[in-house]
Order: sequence, then structure tokens, then C-alpha cells
Amino acid sequence: MTLTIVKNATCTFCGCVCDDIELHADGVRITETKRACSLGESWFKNHTAERLYPDALIDGHPATVDDAIEAAADYLLDAHMPLVYGLSNVTCEAQREAVHLTELIGGVVDSHTSL
Amino acid sequence: MIYWGGNPAECHPRHFTKYSLTQKGKFTPNGRKDRTMVLVDIRETPSGKAADVFLQVRPGKDFEVITALRALVKNQTIRPEAIADTGLTLEQLNDLVKMMKEARFGVIFFGMGLSMTRGKHMNSAAILMLAAEMNAFTKFVAMPMRGHGNVTGADVVLRYTTGYPFGVNLCRGYPRFNPGEFSTVDLLVRGDIDACLVLGADPGATMPQPAIDHLAKVPTIVLDPKVTHTSRLARVHITTAVTGVSAGGTAYRMDEIPLPLRPALKSPYPTDEDVVRRIKEAVKRRPAWLPMLKETVIV
Repeated sequence: MTLTIVKNATCTFCGCVCDDIELHADGVRITETKRACSLGESWFKNHTAERLYPDALIDGHPATVDDAIEAAADYLLDAHMPLVYGLSNVTCEAQREAVHLTELIGGVVDSHTSL
Repeated sequence: MIYWGGNPAECHPRHFTKYSLTQKGKFTPNGRKDRTMVLVDIRETPSGKAADVFLQVRPGKDFEVITALRALVKNQTIRPEAIADTGLTLEQLNDLVKMMKEARFGVIFFGMGLSMTRGKHMNSAAILMLAAEMNAFTKFVAMPMRGHGNVTGADVVLRYTTGYPFGVNLCRGYPRFNPGEFSTVDLLVRGDIDACLVLGADPGATMPQPAIDHLAKVPTIVLDPKVTHTSRLARVHITTAVTGVSAGGTAYRMDEIPLPLRPALKSPYPTDEDVVRRIKEAVKRRPAWLPMLKETVIV
């Protein structure tokens, strides 16, 4: 197993977004998190590259991502007032896409800020 | 430095050392020794150890304290009985105002203990007004202590795409902003919405029960790296890569500095960005709900 070392990695657990962390990864999991705090360490070490969950679920049953995307598009377009909510633990690029999607479906877009 | 209603020692462990309290700066060559830290909270938390002054406010009385401070800053007289039930004395408040005015550069970091308790938006508005008014005397800023990774990014992206930071309604084809009307909890509790796409959040674990009940009633779609509480009551769940661990992109720090993410792992799942884009493409292939919206304006 080759060891990947990522210098100046960015932690997105809390709002501090520390960007000076050194990560050691063996391809499946992160084994070392230099300079990260206890919260950051558990954030990095808890997420692995393993396939622990089904790709997608429709009504609780495993499904393909393609089917799930089509089902999602149907539900969102059929709704009179759909809501797009969250946006906290995703990248700005994903947030941008989400705003565009909200415009297309004529909905409300909101984040954790409003809580 | 004033921390109000927050516990950075436990919730933002590196805030003191990497950003605020102990770092040496051009005008603070001695780091911690050049700074005074005040902690305002309803109980003494582990952050209290780092503070020079700890002020214990009675729960739910933050607004009253801030209003009294704003009056004292402008040299108004306050009767001691007017602040009797805040848990603080006039002497303590006068000392704080003196410290604030003597500072060369003051900052108020406010946490959820202020913005999520009795008064909510009004508390945040009051503390921002206090910081604004302090600028008549010295340089002063206020900054919310953001919880989740890129929640600041959500504010920034919504601001530059729609003009408003959160709770934006695009039902009429143009953005409308009205917290209390278009904010998630209110929409859910009133039962206004009839479908929901949740990404980068787990409202099933954090929201009030009536809101969760409504989420279970309507078709809910969840994008998350894990099968969450919300996924269990959703019609559709799509597993995605973990932001910052196996998905790259940009995230904003709480002081609105954008930072690139450097993922260390390769996920077997698609990223949130990818999935949202594919849902968008699938929506585009269907007839538009409003013909004039075919060509979009915002992004």
C-alpha cells in the first residue's frame, strides 16, 4: 500500500477551515493528521474511501445513481414549492449548482444560517 | 476580544492559537500579552480559562445587556435596577465599555449562545449595531463563529448569485428574501413546501419534530456521504463523496477567505457537485414549469 502525503490540506469540520494540515493516507483511509485538532482528527479518520453504503436508495431500496437522479428530478419539478436546504458541508461549486437548480425548479434555497 | 455565547475551546479548538488570541501580529508583537479577552456566557465553559474577564449573563438576557452597553458607549445614564435581572452589575458593564473604547482594534466573536437563544435575530442585530457604533471610538468588528465547514461559503455564494445570503425564494423567477417566511424551519413547520432536496445537512437530527414530520410527508431527496437520519425518512438518497476528504473544491473560512480543498482519498461515490449538476441536467430535459424560465438569468 503506497502512502500518500497531502501537505496543507484543508479541514472542513468547523468554520475555522484550517488549511495547514498534513494528511497521510494509504489509499483507503487517512492514518495521520498532523496539526489537526481533536475534532479535525476524528473528522478525517472517520471518513474512508470504502464502499460502505449503497450508491443510492429509492424508497429505502438500493438503486442506481442514474435512476435516483431521474426520480429526484421528477419530484423536484412536480412540486409547487420545492426547498433546497443545507449547503453547509458541500463545496462552493456544489452550492452554485444548487442555486441554479433551485432557479430551474422555482423553489426556495436556504442554508444552516437561517436556523 | 470579546467572545459572546460561544465556547471556542471545545467547538473551534484552534481558533485561539491559529487565528485570534495567541498569534503574533504587526501591531501585537507579543501575541497573547497584547490582547485582552472577555468571555460572555451563561455559564463558565472551558474557554473561560483563556479569558481575562468572564461575565456571566443570566440566560435569555443577552439583548438587555447589549442594549445597556450600547447606551453606556454613548455615555447615557442607566439606572442600576434597569439591568438588575441581567446577572451583571453596572460596574462590570462600565469596565467592559472602558476596555472596548481603549482597544486599538476590537472584535466581537458571537456564537450560537447568542444567535440561537431568546431574541435570535434581534440579538445578532443588536451585537452588530454595537460593533458598528463602537467605530465612532476605535476600530471594531463583529464576526459570527460559524459551525459547519462551508456554511460561510453558502452565504457568499447565495449573496453573489441571488443578492441575499440565505432563505431565498425563487418561486416567482426572481429572488425574494424574508427570514421567518422563507427560512427552512418556518417553511417546514407551516407545511408550505411540497418537496425537499437536502445536501450537506442532516435536518432529521437537528430540526424541531414538526419540521421533521413534514420532511417525512413530502418527497425528500438527500445527498450525503452517509445514510443519515434524514435519509431514512427520504424517498431518494444518493451517496456522495466527502467534502475535503475525497471531494475537491473551494470552502470559505468564517472570515470569508476562500480556501482550496486538497482531498487525500479517492471516493467510489460521485461528488455533490456532480450529482446536483446531473439532477439539473435531468430537470432541463423535462418541459420547464414556467416557459419563460427556459433561459436562466442567475448563474
